[in-house]
Amino acid sequence: MSTQDNTTDETTDFGFERVKKEEKAGRVREVFDSVASQYDLMNDLMSGGLHRLWKRFTIELSAVRPGQTVLDIAGGTGDLAAKFSNLVGKDGNVILADINAAMLSVGRDRLIDKGTLNNISVVQADAQFLPFEDNSIDCITIAFGLRNVTDKAKALASMNRVLKPGGRLLVLEFSKPASPLLSKIYDAYSFSALPAMGKIITNDADSYRYLAESIRKHPDQETLLEMVEDAGFVDCRYHNMTGGIVAVHRGIKG
Amino acid sequence: MEHDPAVIAGACVVAESAIMRAINLSSGTRNQLKSLYPLTIGVNCSSPSVDLYVTINADGAITIESYREEATTVSLAGSWKDFLGVAAAADPASALINGNVQISGDTAPLLQIQTVLADLDIDWEAPLAETLGPIAGHQLATVIRAVTRTSKNTHRRLKRQLSEFILEEGRLSPPQAEQDAFFTAVDDLVLRVDRANSRLKRIKKRLDGMSG
Repeated sequence: MSTQDNTTDETTDFGFERVKKEEKAGRVREVFDSVASQYDLMNDLMSGGLHRLWKRFTIELSAVRPGQTVLDIAGGTGDLAAKFSNLVGKDGNVILADINAAMLSVGRDRLIDKGTLNNISVVQADAQFLPFEDNSIDCITIAFGLRNVTDKAKALASMNRVLKPGGRLLVLEFSKPASPLLSKIYDAYSFSALPAMGKIITNDADSYRYLAESIRKHPDQETLLEMVEDAGFVDCRYHNMTGGIVAVHRGIKG
Repeated sequence: MEHDPAVIAGACVVAESAIMRAINLSSGTRNQLKSLYPLTIGVNCSSPSVDLYVTINADGAITIESYREEATTVSLAGSWKDFLGVAAAADPASALINGNVQISGDTAPLLQIQTVLADLDIDWEAPLAETLGPIAGHQLATVIRAVTRTSKNTHRRLKRQLSEFILEEGRLSPPQAEQDAFFTAVDDLVLRVDRANSRLKRIKKRLDGMSG
């Protein structure tokens, strides 16, 4: 099973399928339209609540301070944006961006319910073509979103463009478990239990099968590190979490 | 060995929740903590290698993180045994200053935190009443308070009686006054020996001068 970035000029991965590049965004949108309303519940069930700890560590790594501008790409239901909203304070700004309108709608409703929308802007945007000025953002996070992007290199270059010099990129994404035993257990879990849970909760096993497949096709830790460096980031590193099931990559715009 | 950040984050969440629960059950504590803002204490444990950062926020809430780039107000460094020694000491402030924990930065907030902790008066009845209802909760809290008071009194009485037994019944240790008098006599003797030694040296010097 390849863990390299297999995007070519014509085609890219959609789970284990090869699809035309222009088709992928639409196919991904269908997946997230289907799961949006139950997304957080499924995250809790699938990860046993661990996704909250992975996100918590990502927020610690961001070193965000009051008054800064944070862009949360593929922010979906807004859990990271809500935390950043407290950290940047009333003088700061958080931009919650997602390509999927259904996810953004759920996120915006949730933020309104929490009363945290005063310093958060909601923007529907494609990570490959970020509609922001050059050198305008202090910190960018993309949690469990990069693997769904059609052209990851283009998205990383776009993030580099909008970050301020010294600004920080954090990519939280599923990755490759370090132990072969854990890898086997994880494979069995994601290809059997995950679609079954998806079927029960959202009545959609296919979307969760895609999620499991897309995780396997996503670049491993070292490949993604190279991609982040190739996009122009410096001082790049990654931290494995939960045995490498998840990794958070960090890069600084030079 | 590098620890899994998710495990550390989980431990931080548990500790943070427990501390905040206790603080919220103690009226006035949160306001006392607010007055300490901004404050971050770095705890650098060498064995096992874990760094934790305890921050007091503007609203008096406490957050515990495993990663921080900004400077801390005060940093404590040592092994887990050193930190355990401080936590278990009867006088933690004295144990912190005189123990093996290395302190850098402004130490004044540590003493202020000790004062806040000493004033911590947790109202355990509130969560019991929330769970069991006001009548059963109050009854159970009364029983817990009575048991706690009795065990404290028993502990205090046992300590005093053990001390009396060692001194008077068993004659295993001399009384405090006798010990003090003995140590004073020893100190006195040391001074007299020093003086005699100096006098001898002076006489020897004078004799050497006369013979020369």
